[in-house]
This record gives sequence, C-alpha cells and structure tokens, in this order.
Amino acid sequence: MSFAVNGEEVELYISPNRTLLEVLREELELTGTKESCGEGVCGSCTVLCDGVPLRSCLTLALEMEGREITTVEGLGEQGRPDPIQQSFIDHGAVQCGFCTPGMLMSVKGLLKRNPTPNEEEIRRGISGNICRCTGYAKIVEAVTAVTTGSGRNATGS
Amino acid sequence: MEKGFSLIGKRVPRVDSLSRVTGEVQFAADLKLPRMLVGKIKRSSLAHARILHIDTSRAERLKGVKAVVTGQDTGGVKWGVFRYTQDMDFLPRDRVRYFGEEIAAVAAVDEETALEALDLIDVDLEELPAVYDPIEAMASEGPWIHEDYPNNVNVHVNIDVGDIEKGFKESSLIREDTFTAAEDDYFMGEPYAVVARFDDDGNLEIWMPNAGPHMKSKPLSNALQMPLHKVKVRKIAIGGAFGGRSEISPADYICALLSRKSGRPVKIVYTREENAVNVRMGHALITTIKTGVDREGKVLARDITCYMDGGAYSSTGPIATSVPFLCMEQAYRMENVRYNGYRIFTNKPIRGMIRMHGRSFACGIDLQLDMMGEELGIDPVTMRLRNARQAGEYTPTGSYVSSCGLTECIEKAALKSGWKEKYGNLPPWRGIGIGINSVQTGFPLGIRGGSQAIIKFNEDGGVTLISGVVDNGQGNDNMLVQVVAEELGLSMAEVMLITADTEVTPNDPGSYSMVTTFAGGNAARLAAVDARNKLFDIAAKALEANPRDLMLKDKKISVAGSPDRFIPLKKAVRMGLIQGMPVSGEGHYAPKVDHTREWVKNPKGQLSEAFSFGATIAEVEVNPETGMVKALEVTAAQDCGFALNPMLVEGQFEGSVAMGGQGGMLTEHHFWDGGRCLNPTQLEYKVPLACDMPRINNIIVESLDPAGPYGAKEAGMSIAMSAAQAYAAAISNAIGVTLTDFPMTPEKILKAIEEKNQGGR
Repeated sequence: MSFAVNGEEVELYISPNRTLLEVLREELELTGTKESCGEGVCGSCTVLCDGVPLRSCLTLALEMEGREITTVEGLGEQGRPDPIQQSFIDHGAVQCGFCTPGMLMSVKGLLKRNPTPNEEEIRRGISGNICRCTGYAKIVEAVTAVTTGSGRNATGS
Repeated sequence: MEKGFSLIGKRVPRVDSLSRVTGEVQFAADLKLPRMLVGKIKRSSLAHARILHIDTSRAERLKGVKAVVTGQDTGGVKWGVFRYTQDMDFLPRDRVRYFGEEIAAVAAVDEETALEALDLIDVDLEELPAVYDPIEAMASEGPWIHEDYPNNVNVHVNIDVGDIEKGFKESSLIREDTFTAAEDDYFMGEPYAVVARFDDDGNLEIWMPNAGPHMKSKPLSNALQMPLHKVKVRKIAIGGAFGGRSEISPADYICALLSRKSGRPVKIVYTREENAVNVRMGHALITTIKTGVDREGKVLARDITCYMDGGAYSSTGPIATSVPFLCMEQAYRMENVRYNGYRIFTNKPIRGMIRMHGRSFACGIDLQLDMMGEELGIDPVTMRLRNARQAGEYTPTGSYVSSCGLTECIEKAALKSGWKEKYGNLPPWRGIGIGINSVQTGFPLGIRGGSQAIIKFNEDGGVTLISGVVDNGQGNDNMLVQVVAEELGLSMAEVMLITADTEVTPNDPGSYSMVTTFAGGNAARLAAVDARNKLFDIAAKALEANPRDLMLKDKKISVAGSPDRFIPLKKAVRMGLIQGMPVSGEGHYAPKVDHTREWVKNPKGQLSEAFSFGATIAEVEVNPETGMVKALEVTAAQDCGFALNPMLVEGQFEGSVAMGGQGGMLTEHHFWDGGRCLNPTQLEYKVPLACDMPRINNIIVESLDPAGPYGAKEAGMSIAMSAAQAYAAAISNAIGVTLTDFPMTPEKILKAIEEKNQGGR
C-alpha cells in the first residue's frame, strides 16, 4: 500500500489485518501515537486522516491507501512546536502525557473545523479523548488561549 | 516566609512537557530492542482451582516460540508487601485463587505466535468452591482461601482510644448507619507494560511503570534469586499511578523469567482487560458508623466497623485496612473512638491502595454528620468547623499535627461557593454539600523511608541531580529541577536529572505514600545547599569575604549588600576543579516518624511527619426523571503547606475532582458475575469526560509546614477524597434522601426518589 504520513510518501507491504495504529507504531516506529483502550473509546490513538480526527486502533491500515495521515510527530517543526503544543506546555495541560498526543490531534481537528470554538464546543470537541490526570480544566484553558490569542507568558503570571 | 524566590512558588511550565507534546517521550510499550520477543500470559479460567497438570509441550514445539514458563520454572519465592503477608506466587504451582490469575507464559517472535502458543498450553484444573462475598467468606467454616487465615480474615486492625461507652452515654444524639461502595479502579492512560533483558554480564535491565523503582528491584532480586545490584530498574515515562503500581507485578517477574530462559529481550504489554483485572483495583467496602454528638454537634464518641473485600491476596492489606480510618482521625477530632477494620479474602482480583481508597468510609462519616446536624438544626459547615482538626493537636493514634489549615480551607471554600446564600435556599433538585479530609505525607517505611540526593557540578556551571524520586505524571521531576535551580541560582534548563534508576540513584521511598515532595524535595534542597556551601568556601577566598555573607543568584556569587563584588558561578566551579576541591552536594531527608508504629500490631505513634487537609464543596442538579446528576460547580480548598508551583497544584486539584468526585461518586464501579469482572474495559467502566466536568474553583491554603521544603506537604489527594464526600452530600441535599450505596448511579437515585415519594423512607 502507499499513503502519506506527515507529508512523506510511504510504501509498505503489510498483511490485511494490521491496524493503522500497529503500522504507525511498529512499521514506521512513530510511537507518539498511543494505544490505551484498543476499542475506540479513549482517543489516545487519534491521528488526522486528510485533516479529520480518526481512531487509528479501529482503522485497518489498508483503508488508508492514498490518504494523508498526520500524527503527533507531524505537528510543529523541530525546535518550533505548534502553537497548540506550546500552549499545552505553558498552561500545565500535560501531566503524565500519555493521552496528550491523541488529545492534541483532536484539538487540531476541532480547530480545523471551527477555528474559534467556545468553551462548550472545546469540551465537546475533546470528549472523545480520556485524560485521567488533569480533570481537563487546564486542557480547555490551553485551547482557549490559542483560539483567543490570549496565550500568557506562563512564568510569573 | 523567605521572599524573593526566582522559581519556587511560581507558575513555571514543567521541564518534561515538551517531550510529551511532541510524542518523543518513551513509555515502556514504546521500547524496541534488537531481537526482542513478545511475551503473553496464560491465565486461569476458574476463580478457584487446584492446578493438577500443565502440559506446555505443544506450545514449545510451535515455530517462533522461544520460551515457555510455568510455576515449575520459579524458585517458589512468595511475594508479600510485609514479611507476615507473603502469600502470593508470581506463577502458582498448585492453586489459583481468582479468575485470570497467572498460570504460564510464553515468549515468541510476534504477538500472533505468542497468542497461538497460549492456546496450545494444556491446563488441567480441578475446580474448588469459590466465595465472592466478604461476609459469606467470613462465615465460611472452610476450606479457606489461604489455610493460614481462618475465616478468610486477612487483616484485622483494632484501634480503641478513650472511652467510647462514656462518650455515648454523654451524647445527646446517637446515630448508626451503614454505607457501602463497590470496587473502583485506576484506569491509568497507560496500560501496564514491561520490557526485560539481560546484559552480557548477567545483569537484569527492566523498564516498567512504577511508583518507586527500589520497591521493584528488591522483590525482583528475591524472586529471581539474584543479587540486588544485578537488578537494574531503569527510568521510563509513566502514564499514571493513582495509588497503584507500587508493588511488584507478576508481569515484571514473568518478563524477566522469559528473558532469562530465551536469552533475548522480552516485552509484555497488558491488554486493557489485564490492566483492570491483573494489576490492582480499589476495595469494595461495607462501613458501619455509630456516632454520638452533644447538642452543639461536637462528636463525643465514634465506633466504626469496616469490612473490605480484599480479593485473593494480601497485597498492601495492612495499609489498606488502616488508611480510611487514619484519614478521618486526622481530619476530625475524636477523643473516644473505636475502629475495627477487617480485610477479607475472596476469590476475586487483588485489591490495593487507590487515590480515593475508602469512599464509603469517608462519605459515610460526612453524610452521617449532615444527618445529625439536620436533627440538631446545625448547618453542615458549622458541624465541620466544630469538629475540625487544629494544628498543635494529636490524632487519636498519637500523631502530632504540626501544621493544619483545615478551618481556613472550610471557611474559604464556604465563602467562595456562596454556601451561606445557597444552603437551604436552592431551587428544587439542586443541592450543595461539603466534604473534608486529610491525607498522610508519608508512612513509616523502615529503611526505605528516607530519600537521598546527590548533585554533581559540570564544568560549564550546570548541574546534574541524582535522585531516586520517581515521576508518575504528577510533576515530581519538575519539582526537583525547580528546587535545585532555585537554590543554586540556575535556570531550570541548566539542571539535568538522573532519577528513578536503581543502579545509579540512591534510596527513595517512592511516590505512593504522598511523600515525594516532602522527602525527595527536602533531600534535593539539602544537596543543593551542601553544594552551595562548598562553592561559597571557594568564592569567599577569591572575594576575600566571609562565606556567610555570600549569596548566589542568576549564576553569580556575590557579597550581600555589595553586588559589584562577585564571581560567576561557573568560575567558582572551575576554581574548585583546579584547587582539587571539585564541587558536589549530598542531601538526605528521612521524615520523623515513629518506627515502632506498625499497621496491625502497634497502630500508635507518629504516622507521618506532616498531614494535608482539604475541604471541597460541590453544587449539583439532579434530573428527577432520569436520575442523572449534573455537577454545576466545585470549590476545592486544600492546605498543601506551600505551593511550590501553583499551576501544578491546581492541576492536582482538578484531576482529583474528576477522579474522586465526578467519577468516584457518579459512575465508577466494577460489576461482577461471581468472580468475573464484567466491565474491565473503558467502554463499560465510565470515567469522566471533558463535557461532564463542572467549573472548578481552586483555593490553595498555605499553612507552611515547619519541616516541609519551603513549607510544602502533600498536594491534591485530600481533594480527591473530600470531593467524593462533597458530591455525596450535594446529591443527598438535592433529592432530600441520604444515599448510602456508592457510586450514586441514576438507578439508585431514581429508586431513592421513588421511595421517598411513597413515604417509604
């Protein structure tokens, strides 16, 4: 099969039962995308498929023929994180960090659909992603700061 | 408090967040080593059975299988947290005691082969009678689940202080109520995973989520019968613990055994089901509380009996049986109190410590206080203020409470939440409730109670801190960096960490007793002070000043009051190297606890050097048609001593409200068919989502503990527990009925409303 991952064309021979998540993690060694529940509930495996959030654990890799996949490794540039990544850092939206990659991809997808979501829309937009550490408050703050341009200088504020 | 901190007390972003938002950080399941095999575990299909025979020959013949292990491959060393609770085989030889217990394991070239090999292992089991209910288990005349525990009583903790008979006699109001709660679970983001390999010198290197690497290496060395220094637990990112992951897991041992037998690295990743059933979960509790109060609502006597369903093995049983009582004796004054806690064996998965352990216990104490207050015409906030712990007092079991801001927590939370205006005046089906709690900052842990830290200066003026502290996600690594950078006048980027590696890092008590900031933070601070003193000795000569007059800030050592007289920090470090006095620092801190205190045999004396206190107020709305609860606003106030980083402390509060209150009281519970857990996955075990969460007001109360680093002590956990109590009280307030079975699901709420309407209660 051939598809694009983080802007690069990839050609692979895989057995038809492999999930996109397995192919990303094992074949392409992109381990930023996580498996937590393995049944499409927790959102840890979320990637973007042509800009739309997708559960990679429930998706057969072969279905991705010709598609454009973005994983957390495709966000931002080396040494220059995407604004949403930076906002997660600045607002304490990361604790253990296991759900973070999937959460970021859902936020990216949300902001593509709706660049100025209100708080309720943000909460609904990330309700497919389970975070067990934060209670979501700082995540919502981090997203709000990016969409309203109110990103604060975290130090000393 | 000393003013002028550069980093301490500031909302600085965590140093470890960047690698997490980029996905670069590695968790155990992300590791990939050359020639690594996949390990899988064969589990019991019965809740209680004798193992008659295991035939692995067909599995061993399967192409791609590199090792198969059973109980016959073990040294037969049993595991127990305490010397007197060593009752568990990592791979049992003769008997399994719960559905899903480990029986055998394979290592193969890929997952498909490993799973196929599991099916080729023939296990001959003889089913034994099983018991799933703790009260039935206690009544059983045998055979018992463990022969040496009559009536299946695993642990009995008895505490009797003052004179409860006299206290009840003097009481003007007495109530007795029973509260129950089902098992709750961690559901950490990261499923359990372990990678093991042996190096060319026969040393075991092993990576797994843990709440204290030293707590893993020692039992592994015992079970594998190899010297401790050859077991190297390595640092790895950890996706949450919440009270779990403190004990050695059978998977750790089995992975090492498979690696030893195959001669290759092995990785085991638990399925979500295994991560629920085969790690630990919270205990189910039945708590009966009898309380006597005077006309003012002051508690004069309390008699508490609690039965905990412990599952098949002891685990942290003595601690688990004690902690729910200890939290309450810390939070509330009780001069006359009796406690009988029983942990009972059943043929169910093993139960351990969890963040809101004892929810039926704490919620029971608070709901009962509310009911008694109502009879006396005293409002819940006043009831709490009249019984709240104060600094300078002793708990019933003899712990001195050196710092306590509980009253301030209650008062500030009441003010912020608008308690006075709201209580009794809310529209129908709206309710408001308060809970208070207290949590330990460490336990007596014997030789592992203290933390040690070492600082090494690099020639560019940066430092490396070596510490046994582990970070499960709460920000312990960042705490260390913040402390050391503050003390040495460095930026956080100039402090490197080597932590949580048993080969290199010194002793540390681990994170599960809430002592990391207190012990590990103090040790790191003292190591930095030690290094700074050495730097000052060097600089004093160069500056012709008294070392005591020197200060270190922004990488400059200067004479206090004469900012022009300084030398750069880097220069002092290099002078030390030239003069043959290289700068390093050592610090250690062992909390002052009573080492003769023992959970069962001697439950008296100083339990913990410091205690945190929390008060949470929740406001909810109940839909009387559906029984659904909507949390509207939660106000969480905690005395954490001093907030080293308020942003991170708030994060602990908010996560605590989610897990303790929103999840813990509304949705989170396991349900069963005999010994089989029917909801071991995230589809059926409902944890809170972003859309469920209410607005949260955080109130940080700072009592400045005299021994804590900068005054800090435990942060967050007394919110997890008091949030559960607050939700329970708020729902009861909204529907006008006190619910006594947790969590408070819609079915239970509807039933209570219906019974009330029929005048049944």
